[in-house]
Amino acid sequence: MLQEESDLSLIIAQIVQKLKGSNLYSQLERQAWASLQRPEIKLESLKEDIKEFFKISGWEKKLQNAVYSELSVFPLPSHPAAPPEHLKEPLVYMRKAQGSWEKRILKSLNSMCTELSIPLARKRPVGEQKELLNKWNEMGTDEPDLSLFRPVYAPKDFLEVLINLRNPNYENGDSLSFRTHLGLIQVPLKVKDIPELKECFVELGLNIGQLGIDDSTQVPPELFENEHVRIGQKEQDSAAAQQYIRQGSPTALRAELWALILNISSQPEDVLYYEQLKTNVIQHDLLVDSLIYKDVKLTASNDDYYFVFEDYLYQVLLCFSRDTSVLSHFAFNSASPPKSYIRGKLGLEEYAVFYPPNGVIPFHGFSMYVAPLCFLYHEPSKLYQIFREMYVRFFFRLHSISSHPSGIVSLCLLFETLLQTYLPQLFYHLREIGAQPLRISFKWMVRAFSGYLATDQLLLLWDRILGYNSLEILAVLAAAVFAFRAVNLMEVTSLAAAEAVLADLSTLKVMPLLQIFLFATVT
Amino acid sequence: MSRVLVPCHVKGSVALQVGDVRTSQGRPGVLVIDVTFPSVAPFELQEITFKNYYTAFLSIRVRQYTSAHTPAKWVTCLRDYCLMPDPHSEEGAQEYVSLFKHQSPSVTFPKWLSHPVPCEQPALLREGLPDPSRVSSEVQQMWALTEMIRASHTSARIGRFDVDGCYDLNLLSYT
Repeated sequence: MLQEESDLSLIIAQIVQKLKGSNLYSQLERQAWASLQRPEIKLESLKEDIKEFFKISGWEKKLQNAVYSELSVFPLPSHPAAPPEHLKEPLVYMRKAQGSWEKRILKSLNSMCTELSIPLARKRPVGEQKELLNKWNEMGTDEPDLSLFRPVYAPKDFLEVLINLRNPNYENGDSLSFRTHLGLIQVPLKVKDIPELKECFVELGLNIGQLGIDDSTQVPPELFENEHVRIGQKEQDSAAAQQYIRQGSPTALRAELWALILNISSQPEDVLYYEQLKTNVIQHDLLVDSLIYKDVKLTASNDDYYFVFEDYLYQVLLCFSRDTSVLSHFAFNSASPPKSYIRGKLGLEEYAVFYPPNGVIPFHGFSMYVAPLCFLYHEPSKLYQIFREMYVRFFFRLHSISSHPSGIVSLCLLFETLLQTYLPQLFYHLREIGAQPLRISFKWMVRAFSGYLATDQLLLLWDRILGYNSLEILAVLAAAVFAFRAVNLMEVTSLAAAEAVLADLSTLKVMPLLQIFLFATVT
Repeated sequence: MSRVLVPCHVKGSVALQVGDVRTSQGRPGVLVIDVTFPSVAPFELQEITFKNYYTAFLSIRVRQYTSAHTPAKWVTCLRDYCLMPDPHSEEGAQEYVSLFKHQSPSVTFPKWLSHPVPCEQPALLREGLPDPSRVSSEVQQMWALTEMIRASHTSARIGRFDVDGCYDLNLLSYT
C-alpha cells in the first residue's frame, strides 16, 4: 500500500475511534434505529436508504462538521518511530526549556502553599458547600482576603524565559552578521514574510469586502454587507462557515457561527457535564481557585467593558479547573499537567493525580481569555463549552514554549521580523533608545489583544483567528499597530515614552490596520 | 510480506574537508556516515528510518552485489534529498524520516523513491480517493488492533479527578 493511502487510512482510523466515543455516535445510532420504521427504508437496500435518510435529515452534515472539527484540532499522525514527546514538541531544546519553566511554576506554587499554610486542595465542609451553592450566581459579591496570594507568573516573566531560549546547534558567530537577530528572540524558527502572509490572508485583500471596513456608515449596505449577512444566515457547514468568517461575522450571527465552527451544540449531555463540574467546585476547594479570584479581581473587574461579567467568569473558570477532559489536549501541547500524590501516598502511582484536575495553572490575565466570550453567550454551559474549545485549539499556544507556527515564540519572532524588515528605521530607533518593540507588544499577543482593543474590534479579530485557524494574525496586527503610530514613535526617546504612545489601543480599527499593513504598504 | 529489522553497524561521521583536517576554521558542510551490514545474507532493503539532526540534504550511495561473478559497484540511490526546506531555520531539523523502496518488479535493483515526511499536510489524493471498501477493511483491522491495546490498559475513570473520593493533596511533584 502506498504511503499516502496508509496515511489516509490511519487518519480515518483515528477519527473514527475518536468519534465512536462521542455523543454524536450514540445519536446517529439512535436515529438509524428509529429510521427503520420509515416507509422509504427498505430491507434490501438498507445501507443505502439509511445513508440517504441521514443526508436529507441533516445528520450527515453534523457528521461532516464533527469530522472537520477533528481534522482541525488534532495534528496529523506523525512518523511511527516518533515518541509521544515528539508530537508535543519536535525540538528537544524547546521541550527542555518548557520543562524548566514548568518546574519554576511548580516551585512557586509549592512555596506559596507552604508559606501560607494552605493546602493545594481540600474537601469543603457541608455548611460551606451549601453556602457556595446559594451564592453561585453572585460569587463576585464575595470579598475574600486575597492579599497574601500572588499570581504564579505574569507575562513579563514568561517573556524573559523566551528571550533566553537558545538552540545549542545554532551559532551566530561573534560578529554581527545579517543572520544575527536584532530583536529579543534568538531562535531561528521559520516565519512568514509579507508576500507569504498576503497569500495566506488573501481574503483580507483590498478588493474583497470585509466586516470592520465595508460595513461602516459611509458605505451603502447593498455593496457588501447585506449579501454577506444573507449568506451567513443560511450556513450549516463548519468548513464553509470557517471560510465565510474570514471576511468577518455579522454581530447577530456571530454566536451561532462560532459555535458551528468550533462544533459546539448544547446537548442535554453537555449541560449535565457542566452541572457535574459545578458539583465538583462545590465539593472541593482548590488553591488555584484563589488564584482565579485574584486574577478576575485584578483584571476583568477593573475593565470598563467586562466588569459586568465578573460572576460568569468565576462560573466558567472554576469549572474549567475541574474538567479532566482538558487533559487530552496535552498530547499536542508542549506543556504537561502538574502531578501530585494523595497525602501520605507519595510515590505510589495508584495515588497519583493531576493538579489542578485540568492540568492548567492560570497566570495573571488568564481570565481575559473568557471575558470577551461573555458578550456572545449568556447560558453558562454553552459559554463554558465555547471557552474550553477556544482554549484547547488556540489559547494554550500563547503560554507554552513550542516551535509551532501559532505558538507564542513564533508569533514573537514573526512580529520582530516584520518590524525589522518593513520598518527598519523605526525598529533601529526603538532599539537604540532601549525600547525593544517586543517588550511592549508581548502582552498584547499573550492575551490575544483582549482588554486592549474595543470589544467589537476584538471580536472582529477573533473572527479571523477562527477563520484562518491560526494565531499569526496577532503578530501581524501588533506590527500594524507599530506601523500606524510610527511617526509618534520616531520622536520618543525612552521606553516609558514609547509605552505611553502605545498605551491606549481602544480607538483602533483593526481591519483597516491589517489591510493597510499587508496590502497597501510600499515594500 | 513480513519485514524485519536488519542489524547494521553505523560508523561515526567523517567530515569531507579539503586541506588540513585539524584546523578549526572552515567547518565542513558535508559529513559521511558509513553503514555496514556485518553478517547478513544479501537482502532487499525496504525502508530506512532515522531521526534527523540539522542535516539539510541527504544523498545515499549503495554498494550492491549483482551476482557472484561481477565485482560490487557503488550506485547512487538518492541525491541531495531535501530534509530541511530552509536550512537556516528549524523546519525539519529534528524530524523522523522514512525512505522507502518503490515496488517495481521489473527492476532488479530496488528503485528508490524518496518520500516526504508526514509532518506537514501530506500531498494526499494525487491519484483520487482510495477505494472505500478497502479503506474500510483496513480501518476495521486498525480498530481491532486499537481495541486490543485499549483492553490491555487499565481503563481511566472518565471525569473523576480524585482517588476513591479523596483529593487531599500535599505538594506538587517535580518528577
